[in-house]
Amino acid sequence: MKNSFRLLALLMMVAMVLAACPSQSAEPTAVPAAADATAAPAAAEATAAPAAAEATAAPAVADATEAPASGEKETLNVWSFTNEINTMAVAYEGKHPNVDIKYTMIPMTNGEYQTKLKAALGTSDAPDVVALEAAFVKQFVESDFLKDLGSLLPYAQEDQTYTFVTDVGTNDGVTKAYAYQATPGALFYRRSLAKEYFGTDDPAEIQALLSDFDKYTEAAAVVKEKSGGDTYMVASSGDFQNPFFANREQPWVVDDTLVVDPMVQKYVDTAKLFRDEGYEAQAQQWQEGWFAGMNDSLVDAAGTPKKVFSYFLPTWGLPYVLAPNAKSADGSSDTSGDWGVITGPLPYQWGGTWLGVIDGTPKADLATDFVRFATLDQENLTNWATGVYTNDYLKAIDPNVASDQMQAPGDFVSSQVVVEKIIPDFDNSELSAFLAGQNSYAGFAEAAPSVNAKLMQGSDDAIQRAMNDPLNQYLNGEITEDQMWATWKENLAIDFPDLSTN
Amino acid sequence: MTAANSHKTGFRFKKDYYGYLFIAPFIIAFLLFGLYPVYNTFRLSFTNTTLMGGSGSFVGLQNYQRLFDTPQFMKAVSNTWLLWILNFIPQIGIALLLSVWFTSVRLRIRAVGIWRTVYYLPNLLMPAAIAALFFSLFSFFGPVNQALVRSGLIAEPVQWLQNQTVARGLVIFIQWWMWFGATIILIMAGMTSISVSLYESAMIDGADEWKMFRWITIPLLKPILIYVFVTSLVGGMQMFDIPFLLTDGRGSPSGSILTNNMLMYLKFSSSQGHIGAASAVGVVVFIMTTVIALGIFYFLREKN
Repeated sequence: MKNSFRLLALLMMVAMVLAACPSQSAEPTAVPAAADATAAPAAAEATAAPAAAEATAAPAVADATEAPASGEKETLNVWSFTNEINTMAVAYEGKHPNVDIKYTMIPMTNGEYQTKLKAALGTSDAPDVVALEAAFVKQFVESDFLKDLGSLLPYAQEDQTYTFVTDVGTNDGVTKAYAYQATPGALFYRRSLAKEYFGTDDPAEIQALLSDFDKYTEAAAVVKEKSGGDTYMVASSGDFQNPFFANREQPWVVDDTLVVDPMVQKYVDTAKLFRDEGYEAQAQQWQEGWFAGMNDSLVDAAGTPKKVFSYFLPTWGLPYVLAPNAKSADGSSDTSGDWGVITGPLPYQWGGTWLGVIDGTPKADLATDFVRFATLDQENLTNWATGVYTNDYLKAIDPNVASDQMQAPGDFVSSQVVVEKIIPDFDNSELSAFLAGQNSYAGFAEAAPSVNAKLMQGSDDAIQRAMNDPLNQYLNGEITEDQMWATWKENLAIDFPDLSTN
Repeated sequence: MTAANSHKTGFRFKKDYYGYLFIAPFIIAFLLFGLYPVYNTFRLSFTNTTLMGGSGSFVGLQNYQRLFDTPQFMKAVSNTWLLWILNFIPQIGIALLLSVWFTSVRLRIRAVGIWRTVYYLPNLLMPAAIAALFFSLFSFFGPVNQALVRSGLIAEPVQWLQNQTVARGLVIFIQWWMWFGATIILIMAGMTSISVSLYESAMIDGADEWKMFRWITIPLLKPILIYVFVTSLVGGMQMFDIPFLLTDGRGSPSGSILTNNMLMYLKFSSSQGHIGAASAVGVVVFIMTTVIALGIFYFLREKN
């Protein structure tokens, strides 16, 4: 009796150890399963098929157990930080029925995506295609982990892809990443409020009133005075961080030394002024109060309704952020049609998603072709920008697509050829109705060629992130300005032990 | 029993060795998943390896030297101790008090099981959900400001999470709230295993509640208390999820809730992924925790 207990315990322990093994290798378990299931012919086919001859044979067998009918599918692993590119993935599957794209989304709120990606690089868990956001794309382009995609450059020339888009994806003359977006920034303002406080809602006249940050600050005082403090010029001072930082003379790091450009000082001063004078709502970007300001549902702690006059948002901010949030959750207020768009006090660019291929992936050709399709295929870019990829369109390709997966029209694409072709599409579109008849696409097309990305470096994201907390503490009056600069520089040592901050 | 014995030829397994056979799976798993990572962490801490740059070279004690040179390290260590001690004292205090009441023969509280379950429930919630909940409760446009301003207790809304004391207080409260239920379960298990006859004879001798608690419960509960103490210490030194998720993941405001493990994670997740420097933090925390835990065992050992 006792012995059999021991044996049982031993078996259980062995089972536990086996279960704990990280590589629950798909092959040994999947092969017998495929053999006795109905998928047996499919599996046999898969191993015989020349396409799946090399390393792909094992995944193909594993696939067969999931989808017995389509045993020949080649899988491609794509990682991103939003569900946006999944739309393109499904569209690609529609064109290439033999490809199965495994899409993994990891949020990047506190940098989880970048961390997870870095940890997976060089291991068998690394994806084939990666999405890289503007904040960290340079880190990867500067590294050796991305494959040289110079073979796609002729497509970029044909598309007249905006130069700064390709520049960002290039390091030392080698192009490793391409983007489907170009993302010049703009300033969105409330037309009804502009009429009330400035007597006009005409974009040209408002632009003249807000053409630099001194004027913007003067206008903020007018807005505060005429509204009795119930309308804020901006929801958060973080909104205008990008315009200031984009207009620095020098990048953050020169010769391993931190450069604090005069524009950075100007940003801090402006942010402090806006906080002290009550020109900003003290909302936090991407949090509740920030969104509430877009649809007039912002209510302060005492219950008084508050309004926000303007938002700094780039191209993608219109279809992804502003338009979807213009209606309050209970439907009681809707600001659609009450927005205007102008260049604003300073030209800037914000965000954008680049795609690259992990060097050394066995599926390099397929991965490269997916990047070509997503970023350089004129038909795809046209479909992407004009709202062809509806949920019904995607469901027809893959019935398992989530019911909110779709691409609304209006994203500003990276190809000048496509942009010029589709500008007229937006003359009478939903988005131009949202802007009371303004064709934002035409405006962005004017701004895009003048954007440059020469300041972008791999370290930007970490340097700017490290500034948020000391800056907020300073704005809130918890620390002095000197303490703010000192804390920021101290914090940088965690990320950049070799950076000189004097 | 058994296959091994029935093989007359070849390798013969002596019965004395069965013990080794039975512990072999654990030993193998431990060496593989326990000891090797520890060894590797020590090894990495002497190199400048980064995730983006690949395996680095041996740099001696440079990572440690830099660590002790940066003010964030001492800040992280003192924060971690502060946050742990201030949540552990009320945690063990409340747990002891409630356990005494729940197991008291005189009080005879009903439905003890239900209370115990209710107190344990917060532990089942995801730290991420709890942190998000408290973040939105205390945000500038959140319900706490609304309630306080509308009831006239404060005139202007406050940026609560920009205040270091509030941020620390919230972490301490959440840690206490999540863990005192688990401590109650352990302590009650210890108390119910103490023979009732001891209390009965003490009562006959005229002992009051306090005397019984001091001279019967505490001495017999000592092994359990040491266990709770050490596990809580180990957990406390590795505090990560709540302080990481409550604010910006960098210990905002002003690094007031930056803990050891958050500093390690910051180094690991930095733009180059300094895993060598991150390992150095891990090693220091490991040594610190080990020394303190051994100290606890030494000072609270049975002295006869």
